[in-house]
Amino acid sequence: MRPELAVEVEEAPSIPIRLEKVPNALAFPWEMVAALGAIILASCGHLLIKAGLRSAVLTTPAGGIFARLVHYLLHPAVAVGLGIYGLGTILWVYAVSRRSISFLYPLTALNYAIVTMGGKFLFGESITRGRWLGIAVVMLGVALMQLSMKEEKR
Amino acid sequence: MSAFSALWLTIILSACAQVFLKRGVTRTGSGAPFSYMSLLKSPWVWAWGISFVLATGLWLIAMSRIQVSYAFPLLSISYPIVAVLSIFLLGERIPASRWMAIAVITFGVALIYRSS
Repeated sequence: MRPELAVEVEEAPSIPIRLEKVPNALAFPWEMVAALGAIILASCGHLLIKAGLRSAVLTTPAGGIFARLVHYLLHPAVAVGLGIYGLGTILWVYAVSRRSISFLYPLTALNYAIVTMGGKFLFGESITRGRWLGIAVVMLGVALMQLSMKEEKR
Repeated sequence: MSAFSALWLTIILSACAQVFLKRGVTRTGSGAPFSYMSLLKSPWVWAWGISFVLATGLWLIAMSRIQVSYAFPLLSISYPIVAVLSIFLLGERIPASRWMAIAVITFGVALIYRSS
């Protein structure tokens, strides 16, 4: 027994906007998502590589530098970390194709802030007061950078 | 090669790499859509990849002989270097607020590593 649904749907009034008239500034900034994604993936990659190396060095084989390097690279966490880093690079290439490099490149300083904090929370590395200050200053600079984007569009 | 020239070459090469990449992925008026496959045909993109690999190798040489607390803060100099290169090689216009942001970020990165 299924009651019939008798809801009348009013047709939405058509909005007279012509797509080509919408300014580009209103388009969703996918390249910013790509840039931030690239930065976060690179940081995660670095932290994973570090985690992998921490356990890989415990079983370092005897032999030359090449044998050791292969041993490190074959550790699953190191390999996945490198892969994630590579994925981030692909996103970075997309972002660079859409925005000026003088804007994008300094944003990568966020890597230092994220990796430093990751070192603290994942590996128990200590962060001195001066380092926290540096992280705060980098974030301030990144926020300032956003303002410069508006200025460029004018 | 001395460790210090390796360090400076690392900084300059990694700055150049970003400018090469930008040059390689910028569509120059042809209106062709962005595609990763077409990037492989660009000599600028190859220059980026080669500079990136060279810079990483040189960085390892520098790191093996220079204290981290000295080498890392210096890396942040690459931000203003990229900005200057982008003016001359790419014709980017840099508003005053961006110079400010670049200075703040450079200082911040130096601060993070100065205390190591």
